[in-house]
Amino acid sequence: MSVGLTGVFFVAAALVATGAFVAAWRRDLTHALAGIPLMFAGAGTAFAGVSRFAALPGGGSQLLGQEFAALLSVAALAAVALGVGLAGREGSR
Amino acid sequence: MDSIHAIGFYVSAALSVGGGLSVAFLDGRSRRGLSLGAVAIGVAGMYLALSSGFAAVVALVCYGACALILAGSAYRVIDQTIAGRWRQLGAVGAAALLAVLAYAAYSGHFIPPTTQRDAINGASIGRRLFAHDALALEAVAALVLVALVGATLAWRARDRTR
Repeated sequence: MSVGLTGVFFVAAALVATGAFVAAWRRDLTHALAGIPLMFAGAGTAFAGVSRFAALPGGGSQLLGQEFAALLSVAALAAVALGVGLAGREGSR
Repeated sequence: MDSIHAIGFYVSAALSVGGGLSVAFLDGRSRRGLSLGAVAIGVAGMYLALSSGFAAVVALVCYGACALILAGSAYRVIDQTIAGRWRQLGAVGAAALLAVLAYAAYSGHFIPPTTQRDAINGASIGRRLFAHDALALEAVAALVLVALVGATLAWRARDRTR
């Protein structure tokens, strides 16, 4: 059993599409915010997969994808915090 | 990639996609928070299987914090006034996006991997973040600062109007 870049891209596509579905389908805007981390996780998975499978044969590594995946995680947290803060100002319990 | 890593990757992928679907369909903020927590664990597991240990730790912390925020008492409901037809169109658009991305992944010709890297690689990532790509790191830091200040101001304004 092995994993290739195609399998990683399939999972990344599923996460991005699920996030887009959550953002489009839910009537509650704060609930729709949960789609943002899902989409960012999908993009980060694609970056991490490219980083993993672009490793150099001599043992060197391509770290840009891993770095970008980490930055996307932080950006998703910031977006959700701001969104929930704004929703707390406007919304009801 | 050996069998252990492959099994870990597929289990984590199932956990994250299943958690994402639960986020879409479950009602109740605590259940949604649990589902997003499952997504965080699954994504971190996938990153770990892909030899991206540093990104796995950051993802676990950040997506776990997203789950806590969305499950916490600060959650407020804002109902959209958009008609159901537009929401259905959005759902169909998400399915079309999945089809396009899956086709792009299927039709690509990629070279099979030959090497196994270090699991964490924190020092190299740190050098990249603080030296090579310092501008990107500062941009994300500014985004986090603006988001936290904005969220704080929004909450203070809400408390003042009560």
